[in-house]
Amino acid sequence: MIKSMKPCGLALGALLLAAAPLGLSAAELPEKPAGFGVRPLTMIVPFGAGGGSDQLARSMAKAMEEVAGLNFQVVNKPGGGGTAAIPDFMLSPGDGYTVMEHIDNAISAYAKGDIKENPAEDWTPLCMTQITFSQIYIRGDEDRFTDWNSFLEYAKENPGQASMANLGKVGSMELVVMSQLQNALGVKVKQIAFDKPAERYGALIGGHVDVLFEQPGDVRTFLDSGAMKPILTFLDERPGVFADTPTHKEVGADFDALTRFRGFYVKSDVPRDRMEYLAAACEAGFKTEGFQAFNEKKYMNLINSYRDTEGSVTLINDAVDTYRAVYKELGIGK
Amino acid sequence: MVEFIGGTLTLFGDPTAVMLFGLGLIGGMLFGAIPGVNMLTLGAVLLPFTINMEAPHAVMLFSVIYCSGVFGGAITAILFNIPGAPENAPTCFDGYPMTVKGQSGKAIGAAVSCSAIGGVASAVVMMAATPLIAGWAVRAFGPQEIFALIFFGLAVSASVGAETLWKGWLSVFAGLIIATIGTDPVGGVPRFNEGSVLGMEFSSYYLSAGIHFIPMILGFFAVSEVFTQAMSIAEGNRKRPKANLEFPSLAEFWAVRFTMLRSMFLGFFAGILPGIGATLAAFLGYSQAVRWSKTPERFGKGELAGVVASETANNSATGAAMIPLLALGLPGGALTAMIMGIFQIHGMEPGPLIFINSSDLVWITFAAMFWANLCIVFLGWLQTKTVVHILNVPFRWLAPGILLLATIGAYALRNLMVDVWVMFLAGAIGFFLRRTGYSAAGIVLGLILGKLGESAFAKSMQLMDYDFLGFFSRPIAAFLIIAAVLTIVSSIWNEIRGRELQKALID
Repeated sequence: MIKSMKPCGLALGALLLAAAPLGLSAAELPEKPAGFGVRPLTMIVPFGAGGGSDQLARSMAKAMEEVAGLNFQVVNKPGGGGTAAIPDFMLSPGDGYTVMEHIDNAISAYAKGDIKENPAEDWTPLCMTQITFSQIYIRGDEDRFTDWNSFLEYAKENPGQASMANLGKVGSMELVVMSQLQNALGVKVKQIAFDKPAERYGALIGGHVDVLFEQPGDVRTFLDSGAMKPILTFLDERPGVFADTPTHKEVGADFDALTRFRGFYVKSDVPRDRMEYLAAACEAGFKTEGFQAFNEKKYMNLINSYRDTEGSVTLINDAVDTYRAVYKELGIGK
Repeated sequence: MVEFIGGTLTLFGDPTAVMLFGLGLIGGMLFGAIPGVNMLTLGAVLLPFTINMEAPHAVMLFSVIYCSGVFGGAITAILFNIPGAPENAPTCFDGYPMTVKGQSGKAIGAAVSCSAIGGVASAVVMMAATPLIAGWAVRAFGPQEIFALIFFGLAVSASVGAETLWKGWLSVFAGLIIATIGTDPVGGVPRFNEGSVLGMEFSSYYLSAGIHFIPMILGFFAVSEVFTQAMSIAEGNRKRPKANLEFPSLAEFWAVRFTMLRSMFLGFFAGILPGIGATLAAFLGYSQAVRWSKTPERFGKGELAGVVASETANNSATGAAMIPLLALGLPGGALTAMIMGIFQIHGMEPGPLIFINSSDLVWITFAAMFWANLCIVFLGWLQTKTVVHILNVPFRWLAPGILLLATIGAYALRNLMVDVWVMFLAGAIGFFLRRTGYSAAGIVLGLILGKLGESAFAKSMQLMDYDFLGFFSRPIAAFLIIAAVLTIVSSIWNEIRGRELQKALID
């Protein structure tokens, strides 16, 4: 039934093609709006220090300082899966001095009705700087199954036994993608909710679960050391690095898989010239050598990881539509 | 052994390394000791600079910060009831009452020595058996075992600091209920963040972040202490705690040898397991010290063993946390995740191969952690002789400073104002709680163990298809749960019999 859904999600094929023309030429910055940027800006990170969002925010803050001379104070406000930071962001004056990093969690939370702020309307996305796809991983030394087909066989032979370490948040990108896959293939994999990444990885390596759902950048060290290996990629076409791993479409699941994306926002009442200046600074920051090296380490160079304001709004609105449609199918949300 | 000596020689033979070692040691201790900033703050600030350092230097620096940072927070916990970092929270329970009794020197002395002993011991085990232990621990300890371990800790929480066992349990249950506020750890469902009280509607994104135990501790212990002291000044019967420079005697250390060993062991386990770490280590170490003590009623009122238990456990967790990081590439907490980041920046992969490919890095790190822990003894001794004199400052000048530090500490935790409100609310509640015989420490234990326990329980149940008996098919989990139940039953039995005995004696 989900198969019949209008493919309003993220056209990843187009996205792959779009990756090519993005050169690394130095971007032109518009003139700094009068009176702006004279004191340090605040960058709110709705997750804890040291995590993926924090690393991205600090890396982008450094890149924007390099290209535009803007100083950022990074402030972590973790809690509630990224929700707790929102009121402080909304209360900040609309003068462009407060920027918030956020991830696609905010989009699914809005689609579900957990938050009332629309990330594409109440906030203005400056840019998306990390867009990535998900994969399913097994232990490197797993002998019960070695690839997707043998895992599928194992799951069918042991109904209700095969288990997957995943995030548990109802309606999260992770669970939506997995329920689409399971519906399409008619297989059932037990989803075990682990809230901390370290526990998820430990659960797979320690043998407490059979497979893991994750994005490649987060488990890159495990992939490089051979402790984990991918058996399925949620993308339309195989990216070069994972040429041996089949995509979900190849194994017979015909849906457009949702992606994980991280980007930067200001409130929508920020003056237009300041917003555009920040957006241009973000684009220029994205193209710096330092930031490119950072993204490459995180496997964020496999598909086009950049969207400007307009592209981000499209990305967000498409994602909201997809989430709402899936929620309707699954009967969750308000 | 040869490798260890080699690592030590490399460390101290290289001027840059020695300088970084010293900076890390002092920086970690300072950042650990000042509430509001902690070793993570220092780590986040330093992380970008590690790009230009050699990989062994950078990893060594962070592991030294880890060792001394976990210790640093003990000082303010003992002197002012303000834990410098979450890992030191249970040190407040007995450390501050000791200060009030005029034994501040003893408490700090014990914290210093035990941090060093715990740290050195875990560094030794780490050197001896990292690849071996790491693989075993992640396989043997799944969510079921972690839940059982937390349940075991919860079983004795009721005996901490309450007048009767019943008041103790009520305190713990209050903590467990507070733990349910916020986003649930499984489905991400917000709980108690909106609703109505007396017809007044409320809805708060802040509350979806949940109630953190640090502002609760700051409120219960630091803020309410300021109120209490202020009241006794107003009544004219306050005695200033004497600044005391006395170190604990060898006999006193000998008396707590089992507590120390037990905490070392618990701290070690908590450190190895991904996502658990030094904070739970300290709490478990503390609650088990109460469990096995012959005089559990003295805990929470200035028992040396309480300080020993918590400080030994949190520092032995540091060495242990390096084991899964180095051997499996699994960081257990935020600081080890930063070390992981350093590895990535330098294009290295933690994992079994690191012992072969980068053995110089591994051994310089091991040696640095070993020596850092030994240096804590000396630095701590210096601190004992100096910092304690702050107590000679009149309280009317000290009180605003304590309130200020506590407020900063509560806010800086997550940069959320809700934590400051929770702190002041807990301060007011704590002020009255002291007169009722209920236990603030019990509430805090319930809160932290409740949060971690719920998450582990939910995972276990999902894995076992919601069959509770599944716990008993796993030997370690079964043993811990049965032991916990026996502990609860026997404590209730003792309480009832004790009451009846008292009654009989009165009659």
